[in-house]
Amino acid sequence: MSKFADIQIDASIVKRAARGDARAHEIIYRAFATPVYSICLRFTKVPAHAEDLVQETFIEVMRSIARFRGEAALGSWIRRIAVSKALMFLRSAWTKRSQSLADDWHDVTEGAVQSHGVSAHPDDAMDLDAALANLPDVARAVVWLHDVEGFTHKEIAGLMGKTESFSKSQLSRAYMRLRPMLEVREDNTQPKGAAVRSC
Amino acid sequence: MSSKQKDDEMICALTANESSALRRGLRELPETMPPRVVWNRIREQGEAEGLLQQTRASSRRMWFAGVGLAAAVLLAVMMPALMPPQPEGITVPQNLPSNTTTLTTLQTLMVQSRQLESDLRSLPDEPRVMRASTVATISDLEDRVAAIDYQLNDPDVKMTPADRELFWRERVRLMNSLLQLRYAQARRAAF
Repeated sequence: MSKFADIQIDASIVKRAARGDARAHEIIYRAFATPVYSICLRFTKVPAHAEDLVQETFIEVMRSIARFRGEAALGSWIRRIAVSKALMFLRSAWTKRSQSLADDWHDVTEGAVQSHGVSAHPDDAMDLDAALANLPDVARAVVWLHDVEGFTHKEIAGLMGKTESFSKSQLSRAYMRLRPMLEVREDNTQPKGAAVRSC
Repeated sequence: MSSKQKDDEMICALTANESSALRRGLRELPETMPPRVVWNRIREQGEAEGLLQQTRASSRRMWFAGVGLAAAVLLAVMMPALMPPQPEGITVPQNLPSNTTTLTTLQTLMVQSRQLESDLRSLPDEPRVMRASTVATISDLEDRVAAIDYQLNDPDVKMTPADRELFWRERVRLMNSLLQLRYAQARRAAF
């Protein structure tokens, strides 16, 4: 799971937050603001939109924390709120453009990723960042949810109101676009024989 | 077979090495901190919606703002009584030139605009707790004033005198709305 899982908040802080204690909410915000903002920025690409989504997420936390039972980690709960808000934002943008979720592949030119992305260094963060940013919104969201946040296709499908096949198809197409980024380095310690397709 | 394995089987575009490199690369991407102002906005909205108990600091700020505004009003009421009587024939200098009839419409609008700005500055600072709708309206008015200023100050924008007058008239109207809104807000914060 992502960095959300590494953040621990004391149960007494959560109790105080449930009573509307401003200081407790500030502690929760300080702990989770960066991962929440990062995920929102990753989905929207626009800092102002990401800031609005952070605000919506933490206002939702304030509204709902009294119902948080602590069965899951607080980080997972906040992450789900943030993801839900970010996906809602993407859905609303699509609605405005009267486009279906699957259609936005047409907005991305075939060469867009390659032109940024051909790199012999798979850990070159700037290239990968640029390649990721060049994916269509929904594909970028699927890649992030699946590969970083550890969501299954079933969960992603549920969050997006789509089928599992849709999620898998988006991921597969995104991988094809990202492949030029992933040429294994000459000095990679793994033997070349390990480069076997996973299907 | 687990659902995770099934998921993996469906993904045929990458080799195991590539998949692993991608996941590692994505997880190593740097995270970004939101600007500091975001928490202020969240806290203000939370307090305005009654989701947060008001902190002692914000209660204190409201109390001081209230006392400040009350003192200003009291001073304004008492000022004529405290001031020595003006000798006959001498008038207090005003921002507006006495002979306003000789001013062009444009100059009058500019003077009005300056006066409104001065009035706006004399109001107490914005309260920390504001309704979201008020914040949005104030922000919208300020943006529109800023857009007009940008147009008026841009040497590349060619304007006829009529256009210039139209811009200044709109600026005065917007500043007036802003002043009324801020005044109402200051009164609400005070009582």
